[in-house]
Amino acid sequence: MVYITSWDEFVERSIQLFRADPQSSRYVMKYRHCDGKLVLKVTDNRECLKFKTDQAQDARKMEKLNNIFFTLMTRGPDVDISEVSGKEQSEVQPTKKGRGRKQ
Amino acid sequence: MVGSLAQPTHLPPYFKLRKVSSKSAREREREPSLFAFAMVLLQPDPFLNELTSMYERTTERGSVWVTLKRSSMKSKAKRNKMTSAGETIEYRCLVRATDGKKTISTVLSAKDHLRFQASYATILKAHMSALKKRERRDKKKAGDGQTKQEDLKKPPKKSSS
Repeated sequence: MVYITSWDEFVERSIQLFRADPQSSRYVMKYRHCDGKLVLKVTDNRECLKFKTDQAQDARKMEKLNNIFFTLMTRGPDVDISEVSGKEQSEVQPTKKGRGRKQ
Repeated sequence: MVGSLAQPTHLPPYFKLRKVSSKSAREREREPSLFAFAMVLLQPDPFLNELTSMYERTTERGSVWVTLKRSSMKSKAKRNKMTSAGETIEYRCLVRATDGKKTISTVLSAKDHLRFQASYATILKAHMSALKKRERRDKKKAGDGQTKQEDLKKPPKKSSS
């Protein structure tokens, strides 16, 4: 089990992992209220990336990641996720269809 | 017995399907665990309600796991048939939640997911209250919480030159 310390690294690698094998990759979230711990896992049954935290700020970041994964999974792995509040940094494109953005 | 059934590919291995029909009703009664592993497939809204109660039930003890996976909800054979026939397979997002005892699930399509995403985020925000808030002021205080925080904020950049 690889625990990654940097959030951005976790996000980037897990998106890559998903894009490489969308059929068998899954994103798991485990929350324990009694311990105040949150663990995220992304795996394709060969490689596993995990992120553990007890910080509220990471929960907010995780929500953005949830949105990314929802989009990737429902629309397909090739979808441009810079629409999802620009978490992807490699595909910096002007967001024309920003969700909830009034232009 | 297990090998004769087509195992669902989108479920983790511990959710193995077992043939219940070959057993008598009395035998089935003696094995309540089989039904505990039943995968309850719900519509998105009832799923969210159940998820909320799951979070409420596990405040003192226990964990909640939520899994997101892309799935077409069709068996491998059907999928292969569809690709060879030239039909596009519609993929959806399978969301599962469990508290270790009970499992619920729902399937989202592209049009469902936006609405679900919003409600799901609200539920999470409301229930993940046990996580620590940021406290940058007390840096020198004795405690692992603070040092862990600093490590998270400033990842050591030991890049090899």
